[in-house]
Amino acid sequence: MSETGIGVAIKRVEDLRFLTGNGHYTDDINQPDQSHAWILRSPHAHAKLNAVDTTKAESAPGVIAIFTGVDMAADGVGGLPCGWQIHNKDGSPMAEPGHPPLAVDKVRHVGDQIAIVIAETRDQARDAAELISVDYGILDAAINMDAALAGTTLVHDDVPNNRCFDWEIGDKDATDAAFGNADHVVSIDLANNRLIPNAMEPRAAISEFDRTTGRYTLYTTTQNPHVIRLLMGAFVLNIPEHKLRIVAPDVGGGFGSKIFHYAEEAILTWAAAKVHRPIKWTAERSESFVTDAHGRDHETHAELALDKDGKFLGLRRRDQGQCGALTSQPSARASRPISTRHFWRVCTRHRRFMPKCRPYSPTLSRWDAYRGAGRPECTYLLERLVSKAARDLGFDPVELRQKEHDSGRPVPLSDTGRAPVRLWGFPGDIRKRPKGIRL
Amino acid sequence: MPTISMTVNGKSVSAEVEARTLLVQYLRESLGLTGTHVGCDTSQCGACVVHVNGESLKSCTMLAAQAEGADVTTIEGLANGDELHPMQEAFRENHGLQCGFCTPGMVMSALDLVQKNADPSEREVREWLEGNLCRCTGYHNIVKSILAGAKALRG
Repeated sequence: MSETGIGVAIKRVEDLRFLTGNGHYTDDINQPDQSHAWILRSPHAHAKLNAVDTTKAESAPGVIAIFTGVDMAADGVGGLPCGWQIHNKDGSPMAEPGHPPLAVDKVRHVGDQIAIVIAETRDQARDAAELISVDYGILDAAINMDAALAGTTLVHDDVPNNRCFDWEIGDKDATDAAFGNADHVVSIDLANNRLIPNAMEPRAAISEFDRTTGRYTLYTTTQNPHVIRLLMGAFVLNIPEHKLRIVAPDVGGGFGSKIFHYAEEAILTWAAAKVHRPIKWTAERSESFVTDAHGRDHETHAELALDKDGKFLGLRRRDQGQCGALTSQPSARASRPISTRHFWRVCTRHRRFMPKCRPYSPTLSRWDAYRGAGRPECTYLLERLVSKAARDLGFDPVELRQKEHDSGRPVPLSDTGRAPVRLWGFPGDIRKRPKGIRL
Repeated sequence: MPTISMTVNGKSVSAEVEARTLLVQYLRESLGLTGTHVGCDTSQCGACVVHVNGESLKSCTMLAAQAEGADVTTIEGLANGDELHPMQEAFRENHGLQCGFCTPGMVMSALDLVQKNADPSEREVREWLEGNLCRCTGYHNIVKSILAGAKALRG
């Protein structure tokens, strides 16, 4: 056996620095003449911003500048884009309401950004933020699917019923025919609860602007620096790519939540050119809870059609999810159904139809891909559905799966989205599963 | 502003700090010892664990002034030049880390365990780690690392 390669444990090059305290995470970085930012956030889920008075805060010790959404809007700053849209089943585009980095007319979830306070120290910025007076016109919140669906509280005035999109995929007629010929139909309802990704390292950023060259640099806790450069430069701040450098140092966990472009990155980068000082911001854990893109949060109804011998004939599913008050990207709207679709196709070669995938926008934090981005949910759904079929119809759960595996042709590559997929050692694995795992 | 003095990783240090300065802030911002991390600000996650007078403590929940005169050890104080401490080496050997953010707290916490209990059982290791969170590894390799580190330290 060789010293490197397959089957040999290889020491990681990064472990030496992580184990000796020499990692280089964003919050470990400091720049000469650096200032510090604190973001004032909404304590309300849904409220009009009648007035934001920063006068008192501006004269607090150490304060360099305070900016609100009105300042950014006046400067022509755009909103955070979705970046990967999807169309409704009728061919019309999905709703993509504005996502200003700092709220302008109203706040749409607890934690929504209202103002940035820049000061000599972080404590001074935080103290000054407490002196900002906000006149909130509190509105009803829509904090779950039923409330959002009712549409009595509109999170965005231009999105009727709070519906982001209504999407479908599959062959409806063939699937309905398969169900029509079935001896058995087994159904299941599953809820995947909303969760907070909670990387150990809170999000942080440092922005710099060099006025002699017009170049911006942003150090940020990101899994995806090139996408941040593209989205923030082209869509939000109008900075050409060659004038914008994004640095992703060591990242203390992300699980997907650090893929996306966040408002604080745009606010800091924009503000660095206003104050002509580097600006550093680090989230507290309570800010992570309310502003990192959340995961999961959808309800599914699924049906499996079988013949009398337990052969699978077709699958149908219907999903509704809560995509949060503000668009995330690249994938809040798209990757969940798309990656689920790919996996769905890999897992079964039968007639399948997904008549509804409808996300709604309640007054909750943004929502996006998290650890698997649809695939864990799809696996969970299929395995639960097949297990329920075995239980309800009196089949052995392993034999039912084995029969399905052995019965047909292999999954063609063309049926797996674009990703090449190898067939895994399913029959062997399922028999070797650890004791205690019930099917 | 009060003046504080302490020993950190064997060196005497002294500074004027705001009374509200946390020990972790002092270590990271004044001394530049950024190996000690802040994950939660609230004593939940353990990324900020250091030793104060030989005991593991969460430095995000202690004022720098409370460490007046104390002997503080951080993750930076463990290795002997190029030679890793046996507990650090055990984490490296057993893939006890992925993103590395919780790791300094895990190592410092583990060292306090083995000085109190040189031969801990797996269960004792797991119970001891109650105050240290990791989101990458699922803990199995951290536990394995600590058991291996304890064994190496017993010689």
